[in-house]
Order: sequence, then C-alpha cells, then structure tokens
Amino acid sequence: MDSTKSTGETALNIPESKSTKDKNTVAYTATTTATPYPQARWKRGVSIFDFILRICALVAALAATATMGTTDQTLPFFTQFFQFQASYDDLPTFTFFVVANAIVSGYLFLSLPFSIVGIVRPHAAGIKLLLLIFDTMMVAFATAAAAAAAAIVYLAHNGNSNTNWLAICQQFTDFCQRVSGAVVASFIAAVILIFLVLLSAVALRRR
Amino acid sequence: MGGLELGSKNPGSAPKTEATRGVAIIDFVLRIVALIATLASAISMGTTNESLPFFTQFIKFRAKYNDLPTFTFFVAANSIVSAYLVLSLALSIFHIMRSGAQKSRVVMIFFDTGMLALLTAGASAAAAIVYLAHKGNIKANWFAICQQFNSFCERISRSLIGSFGGMMILILLILMSAATLSRR
Repeated sequence: MDSTKSTGETALNIPESKSTKDKNTVAYTATTTATPYPQARWKRGVSIFDFILRICALVAALAATATMGTTDQTLPFFTQFFQFQASYDDLPTFTFFVVANAIVSGYLFLSLPFSIVGIVRPHAAGIKLLLLIFDTMMVAFATAAAAAAAAIVYLAHNGNSNTNWLAICQQFTDFCQRVSGAVVASFIAAVILIFLVLLSAVALRRR
Repeated sequence: MGGLELGSKNPGSAPKTEATRGVAIIDFVLRIVALIATLASAISMGTTNESLPFFTQFIKFRAKYNDLPTFTFFVAANSIVSAYLVLSLALSIFHIMRSGAQKSRVVMIFFDTGMLALLTAGASAAAAIVYLAHKGNIKANWFAICQQFNSFCERISRSLIGSFGGMMILILLILMSAATLSRR
C-alpha cells in the first residue's frame, strides 16, 4: 500500500496472490480522492473577510475610546454654586465605557496575528475556536459598555420628570454630541463582533 | 481471497458521539436554567410598584418600572430572550437526537449571539440607571432616588442578578456549541 499525499490521492494496490486456482485474479486498486482544494479556498476567503471585519471593528472601537476620552467642555461662565465643566470622568458609567472600549480595541489588535494565521492555514480549527471564544466574551463586554453609556446619554438628552433628573444636554451641547457619537461607534463595533462570531462558527464546520 | 475489505466506521467515533450527546444534554439543561433566570428578572422588574404613604401636590411619591424608559427596555429585552429560549428548547432537543447536525448548530450560535447582545444591552443599561439611583450624580444634579424608595430600589437591584446570570449561561451555551462544531 502506498499513498501519495501531494495530490490528495490515496492508492491502495493489493498484489496478486500467487497461489490461486481461480481465473479471476485481478489486482484491486482502490483510489480515494479527497478534494481539499475548493474547500480550502472557501475557508481562506472566509478568513480574509474575518480579517477585514476585525480591522473595521478595531477602527470603530478606537474611535469610540478616543472620542469619549477627549471630551472636555467648559462653559464660558461660572458661578460659585454650579459646576460648568463636563468631562467623561464626571460620570462613572462613561469611565467604564472608555476602559471597556480600550480593552476591546486592545483585544482586536492582538487578535489580528491570529486571524492572519487563520488565513495562511485554513484548516486550523484550534485557532478559530480560540478566536470564537474570545470574540463571544468581547461581544458581551462591548455591548454592556455601549448600552450602559447609551442609557446615560438618553437620560442626558431627555431627562426624567419622575425622578427630577434634568436633561444636561441643553447646557452642554458639544459634550453631548461627542458622547452620542462615541456610543454609536461602540455599537457599530459590537455589531461587527457579532458578525465575526458568526463567521468563525461558519468556518469551523467540517464537511 | 483477494478483495478489498470494506472500511468500517472509525472505531474512535463512538465515544465522540457520546460526548457530543452529553454536551447537548447539558446545553438543554442550561437553557432551561437561563429561561428561569431571565423570566424571573422580567417578572420581578415588571411588578415593581411602590407608593410612599404620604403625598403632596408637587412631588411624585410613587415609583414604578415604567417611570424610567430604560427599565421598560429591560423588561422587554428579558421577555424577548425568555421567549427565544423557549423556542430554542426544541432545537436543543433536536441536537440531542441528532448529534451530527452542523448547519442547525450554526443557526443556533447566530441567534444565541444576537440574544446575548440584546440581553447584555438591557441588563447593562438597567445597571447604569440602578447605579445612578443608588449614588446620584453631583455634577449633573441628579438626586439618588434610592434614599426615598427603598423597596423599589432593592427590587430593581435584585432583578439584575437573574439577567446577568442568564447572560453568563448564554455565553457558555455559545462556547459549547462552537466546541461541538469543531470536534465533529
């Protein structure tokens, strides 16, 4: 029995038996042809798409972190009693937002080499499973940060009459705009992460 | 006699199928636990209603969950996830019976991830508002309402636990489905 691995074909040759009385002695040859080539191409395409999406998510998460982290608005008048300066660390939820998005950006940056390994070796299931595990946890993390900040931003825009919470956006319009933009960017990053999980799940299948 | 022996199934695949079936059963059980957790959260938040025993014309002394739109979203998100978990129990039973199903597992992972995002969004938005209700915020002149409405505050804080527990279980379910996919 010999097998040639280079073309994906395996040929089994069973030699003729010497001591036969039959007339039907034929050398049986069975060939099995595995066809990895089209499957590898498809998986490679999925991996390349995964890499591109990862870069897009990294850009979105970085933009969210930077936009929220550099908010600092000071209104040009002041009195003794009121605070007229708004920054992201006035609200602990926004601090959590900046930290969480920084962690997500860092993770996406570190996962880029793993994604490249997935492109180069399309059948590495261990790498894809590892990426899927961490992507799932990052989906939860990024969505948590984005939703918490969105709740505070909604409150800042609309206020709440039942709890006597005033809408601070009417004073700090620039701060409010920046913060809302950062929340939108973070939601985009979370949605892209969901698609990354789906892509990894699709690429993990074995036919 | 010459001839080619017919290849039999890989003898190492029998324990694999058993392990996959075990994982599918754990998946089913965890789904039921997550369903109970999210349903309890939705009900516990949805039945909040506290009235303080005195009133004036100007200040409100009744607290209910739909005074804050974020809590309404929380109840809605938990209800949707509970309904999805009930429907996905059927798919989970199908996976117990047929261990080799791959496409349906991918579909289940996709919907599980979507529901994870929805549940996490609802839970963390409500957590932000609960934190604000406990601590208030000096810079924004937002008063901590928990000092007045003790029972309301306690209830909304406790209902977050079930929701976050459901979120952890959903993450586990996704990871188990992915691990099963990669082993087949």
